[in-house]
Amino acid sequence: MPSPTCRPASGCLSSPHENRALPSLNLIGQSLLAGLFTGGLYALLGLGLSLTWGLLRVINLANFALAFLGAYLTYQLATAFRLDPILTLVVIVPGFFVVGIGLELGFLRFKINELTSLIVTFGLTVILESLIQWIWTADFRRLEWPYTRVSLRIGTLFVGLTGLLAFGAAALLTLGTWAWLRWSYLGKAARASAQDGPMAGAFGVNRRRLALLLAGLSAAYAAVAGLFIALNHTLAPSQIYSWIGVVFAAVIIGRLGNALGLLAASVFIAASEALTMAVTAPGWAPLVSFTLLIVILLLRPEL
Amino acid sequence: MIASRLPPALPLVVAGVALALVPALKLPAFYETFLYLVLFWVSLATSWNILSGYAGYFSFGHAAFFGAGVYTTATLTTAVDVPFLWTLPAAGLVAALLGSGIAAVVFRVRGVRGELFGLLTLAVTFVLSTIALNTKIDGGPGVFLAAVPIPTLFGAPATTLYHLALAVALLSAFAALAIYRSRWGMGLFAIRDDEDVAEVLGVPTYRYKLVAFALSCFIAGLIGGIHAMFVTYVTVAETFSVGLTVDAIMMAALGGTRFWYGPVLGAAIVTALTQSLTGGESAILNRALIGGILIVVIVFLPDGVAGGLGRRGRRAAVSPVETATPLAVELPRAPATWQAAAPLLACTDVKKAFRGLQALAGVTLEVRAGEILGLIGPNGSGKSTLINVVSGYYQTDGGRIALDGRDIARVRAHRIAGLGLARTYQIPRSFRRLSVVDNVALAAMFGGGGHGRERGRRLARSWLAFAGLEAKADALPDELNLLERKFLDLARALASEPRLVLLDEVLSGLTPAQMTDALQLVRRIRDRGTTVVFVEHIMRAVLDLADRVVVLSYGQVIAEGLPRQVMRDPEVVRAYLGKAYA
Amino acid sequence: MLEVEHLEVAHGDAVAVWDVSLSVRPRDLVTVVGPNGAGKTTLINAIAGLQPIRSGTVRLDGGDLASVPAHELCRHGIALVPEGRRLFPAMTVEENLEIGCYAPPARRLRGQSLERVYATFPILRERRRQLAGSLSGGQQQMVAIGRALMACPRLLLLDEPSLGLAPQIVDQVFAVVAGIHADGVAVLLVEQNVVQAFAIAARGYVLEQGRVVAEGAPSQLAQDARIREAYLGQQ
Repeated sequence: MPSPTCRPASGCLSSPHENRALPSLNLIGQSLLAGLFTGGLYALLGLGLSLTWGLLRVINLANFALAFLGAYLTYQLATAFRLDPILTLVVIVPGFFVVGIGLELGFLRFKINELTSLIVTFGLTVILESLIQWIWTADFRRLEWPYTRVSLRIGTLFVGLTGLLAFGAAALLTLGTWAWLRWSYLGKAARASAQDGPMAGAFGVNRRRLALLLAGLSAAYAAVAGLFIALNHTLAPSQIYSWIGVVFAAVIIGRLGNALGLLAASVFIAASEALTMAVTAPGWAPLVSFTLLIVILLLRPEL
Repeated sequence: MIASRLPPALPLVVAGVALALVPALKLPAFYETFLYLVLFWVSLATSWNILSGYAGYFSFGHAAFFGAGVYTTATLTTAVDVPFLWTLPAAGLVAALLGSGIAAVVFRVRGVRGELFGLLTLAVTFVLSTIALNTKIDGGPGVFLAAVPIPTLFGAPATTLYHLALAVALLSAFAALAIYRSRWGMGLFAIRDDEDVAEVLGVPTYRYKLVAFALSCFIAGLIGGIHAMFVTYVTVAETFSVGLTVDAIMMAALGGTRFWYGPVLGAAIVTALTQSLTGGESAILNRALIGGILIVVIVFLPDGVAGGLGRRGRRAAVSPVETATPLAVELPRAPATWQAAAPLLACTDVKKAFRGLQALAGVTLEVRAGEILGLIGPNGSGKSTLINVVSGYYQTDGGRIALDGRDIARVRAHRIAGLGLARTYQIPRSFRRLSVVDNVALAAMFGGGGHGRERGRRLARSWLAFAGLEAKADALPDELNLLERKFLDLARALASEPRLVLLDEVLSGLTPAQMTDALQLVRRIRDRGTTVVFVEHIMRAVLDLADRVVVLSYGQVIAEGLPRQVMRDPEVVRAYLGKAYA
Repeated sequence: MLEVEHLEVAHGDAVAVWDVSLSVRPRDLVTVVGPNGAGKTTLINAIAGLQPIRSGTVRLDGGDLASVPAHELCRHGIALVPEGRRLFPAMTVEENLEIGCYAPPARRLRGQSLERVYATFPILRERRRQLAGSLSGGQQQMVAIGRALMACPRLLLLDEPSLGLAPQIVDQVFAVVAGIHADGVAVLLVEQNVVQAFAIAARGYVLEQGRVVAEGAPSQLAQDARIREAYLGQQ
């Protein structure tokens, strides 16, 4: 299993060789931009995790494997049927919504708590990884599509189109989810249920249906994350694990169930990683997010 | 259980000798490698279990400490030319120091339990791997150890590694067994079930967790040092791998984290499965299978394979031998502190506030040695808070609490227990996964008496007899009804041989007949020389039982004296029934 | 409108309420008093569907509530102010109130109900963007009552609304409860504070150790020695 340091997300835009000289402003700008886009992917991957953990008390590691399954399905549909990758979501998102509901039904049936959910969903992750490897082998796959290599030029900076799209989707979904949780009746009911389930029930909230809806949504978000992983990265089954650590950090630093906090934390972590890479060696990047995570856990352990 | 009839160390010794002789059979190298891997995983899973299984602090960072050992040996042998064998103690020590350093910080934060502890240790793995990758420790390309000489003890170098792994595996199994049967292990189990109650019963939770963590890391570092040599080429990705930690967790969970031999079983089963299905597509299938097993075990066998076996054993041997043990043990009497002049407990202006709510607004009261004091007051008047403050569960905001003249306001709960104070809980809080007798034995071991495990168990049976629970000694607390659970709480409090026992609503929820039993029991406790403070709402019982009552209202003492007088006090009537009553 | 017959409720194997029968008529204000631990909270939670019933029946307007899932009870016009308030502490005051009118029939009257609650408790209007967990005990109790009122109940269940509050605030809470009753809402009030509960109630029940030991008009009950006995023991 690879360590988080071989995550391909970040290294692509900065120079890989050690550059001890003071980096140019351009390099810093380019790094921050890369950080912004990578942060978008973190947020997309973290959204489902944050919702199920914060609101349903299920820590769903399988979210990462689902995202990769989504990425591979996008790759497959796009290469086999020449379907536009973005259009594949029309099929994958509803399918994943149903899968999410199915998973939650299982968790409810067996009264899975936070700790056991972590282990059970790790088991699911391993199974999904094997499934992916069985179907698509362990070889690297790269989705080639006309717009995957397009980059726009703004001043002296280059902006990859798919990266921009990923960040746009992340911003749209996190803001949308945040607004939904904040202002809609269903969203308020979801937050109330997480704080005192029986009382929310006493005022008419059907908690079971709400939980299924949230679980379905979370899986659907994983499908969207999968699309952008396929568009921005080379796929390999073992890559599933390389995202877990940093996305967990973003979810916790952003506060559980807080979509806006998640987006901010994701961008902050990714940008500081990118800066660390630009200023020191690329390998130092994970130190920032995980040190931050440790400090936050020790200072504010109540989640 | 088999374990109680045979000395359990014996099978371990036999297995150890047998395994040590395997290389002499000159089997194909494949077998030795396979056995090495089993021993490797036994060491990792068992060492993980010493903290995480016994005390319930799930670490997702075992790979970090394993990795510390791997890189200690790798660095010392290649960069400094230290002979391989000499690096092993260093590998263990570096890991242990690292672990205790982290533990010393983490275990001071009360909120970092359960999954948060897991995430924190996970983050430690990533931090260490990043440091190793970017410094001379590794530097990126990995470290080759092929040129490092391995001393030959009995046969080939590979055999040396095998023997070393066997030694570490045996060390970890023996350690797990010894802890399992020690007071330390008992304390760790109690921490896993209910850490706060354990602390109040006298278990030094902080120290116990710290040492367990250090030992767990030490063994992981040791096997890491050996494994570095086994793989001859170490990389950060393969070493600080979350997968490695999770594999160890899975083995322990599969075997049963509540049992010293659970991780051994789990490691053997999973390694055998993995090795028997290698190569090509079956390797993928094999991984999926392991994932499936993990899910099934967690969902259907929460106590693992060993738990499944143990449950059958417990049913078969509902030991008539043990339950028939006569009450040979004389119950210790509470030490007589009959200086009527000095109060046993004196609270002076004790204050406690929660988020602006003044739960205790300066409580001053005395408890005299040998009396039964009723502590009463309307709902929310601060009675339970007072008990929590006196027993050390909460820190006071101000004021003095003296137990037999000694100030205990800033003393940690487990030390207060040692000074002779015990309590029960409004809703009984038993250790769910300890048998009834062990619940009580724990108190005998960690309370004022400080008995050994065996004597603690014998005393526990006597205390259970005292509370009328001897027939349930081998049951689990969940199998008891409410009255029995309350009496268990009480027996547990008594077993710590307190001079003062605080009873929090022992009577609520009982039927009138049960209540009569309970009242008698409380009287017998006092007759044995223990001073009793009880919080109660059932006034009949208070009038019946108390020598003296103290009435709290809005966190202050509004009356004290003889029960019948106090109940006529207009201010008390007002506090209870509302103003202007009668 | 509410009829409870031979109700028995247990926590696990510990029976907390034995064979309790009581009734609340429309526009009635009935109080159940009794010392702490008498089973009052268990009784009211069982009526509100938060606690499973072991035997006996709870009927609302003649219909058995046993088959109604807890989250649909509020559609039948029952709202609860639970013991210890149980607000959603990380949500604002107004959001807490809005959960009160979550059920569609009440949701349509949101604006109107909100105005009424703010008129009753002006301080809540000032604090409406504040997190409920940061309020004082008295203000939290107001939110709890307000939240229940948002459900536009025909029957309001109140569990010890005076618990842990300073005496002046307790007076205010009782005045509000009397006002709600005057607006035509039937109220079942569980209280420890006998004097003030009896002052506003039309009928009372005395609960002791899970059983009804006396019932009747408050003026008569107040003279009953059994109350004093239940609270203060045999004299």
